[in-house]
Amino acid sequence: MTLLNPRISRVLGVAALLSLIALAVFGLFVAPPDAVQSDAQRLMYLHVPSAWIAYLAFGVTALSSALYLWRRTRSPVWDRLAGASAELGVLFTAMTLIMGSLWGRPVWGVWWAWDARLVTTAVLFFLYVGYLALRRVPAPLETRAKRCAIAALVAFVDVPIVHFSVDWWQTLHQQATVFTPTLDAHIHGVMALTLWLGVLAFTLLYVYLLDKRYRLEALEEDLEAKELAKAIEERVQGAGITAPPEHVEVGVGQ
Amino acid sequence: MKFAQYVIGGYSLAAAVFLLYWLRLGARIRRAERLDRET
Repeated sequence: MTLLNPRISRVLGVAALLSLIALAVFGLFVAPPDAVQSDAQRLMYLHVPSAWIAYLAFGVTALSSALYLWRRTRSPVWDRLAGASAELGVLFTAMTLIMGSLWGRPVWGVWWAWDARLVTTAVLFFLYVGYLALRRVPAPLETRAKRCAIAALVAFVDVPIVHFSVDWWQTLHQQATVFTPTLDAHIHGVMALTLWLGVLAFTLLYVYLLDKRYRLEALEEDLEAKELAKAIEERVQGAGITAPPEHVEVGVGQ
Repeated sequence: MKFAQYVIGGYSLAAAVFLLYWLRLGARIRRAERLDRET
């Protein structure tokens, strides 16, 4: 009921922890302060990888949902994977919003601005919170999986809107630094290294947590099925007990 | 460090959020495993 071999999962967990520690050391002490933003820019090593991993998580949810909806590949595995990845996407989107807000206060002078990038990201967060709520609505497994898969694909429409919002509208949020049309990022060597270290650390953390969250999803599904079977069995047995009272008394006496 | 309260606050908050999520996930898995065995 897991995605990965337990040993691989353990190794992945240790690798994620070590890379997160390395990210903290590089982000706080090794990378130089920015010429304009000074040390506040250090928050970018958390904000940018969080946003990219949130895109990845929602991408996995959308792809898994599409594979569930397609009859040829339909399997409960895709539904579980979609649910597990969506929760992690919400976690990383929340992290993106919090780190962005902490960076915005010293650099922009405000915690929040009604800016296209910020608003579309907040919408993305609430869309997937809604998706997670939809997964909690009681229904037969297949019905729930189908409607959640459709909801996930609809919600994913916001991901490219978030990404291109800085090009489509005039925003306070800066335009893309790395994923430019020409892909020629002008970032100081150690700063770029720290940014990619952040991406690596968050990717490892995402895969590690995805494996754990998938296991929980499978266990909860299994438990739900067992509880349903038990309830049906009790109901059937209960129906059998409705015999005349004297019958029961004789039975008890014996 | 300039803006230290934001930077250190941000890194600490991120560490706390991920740690809490990981601990809660572990607790949820253990609870589900226990219920699964009992059912």
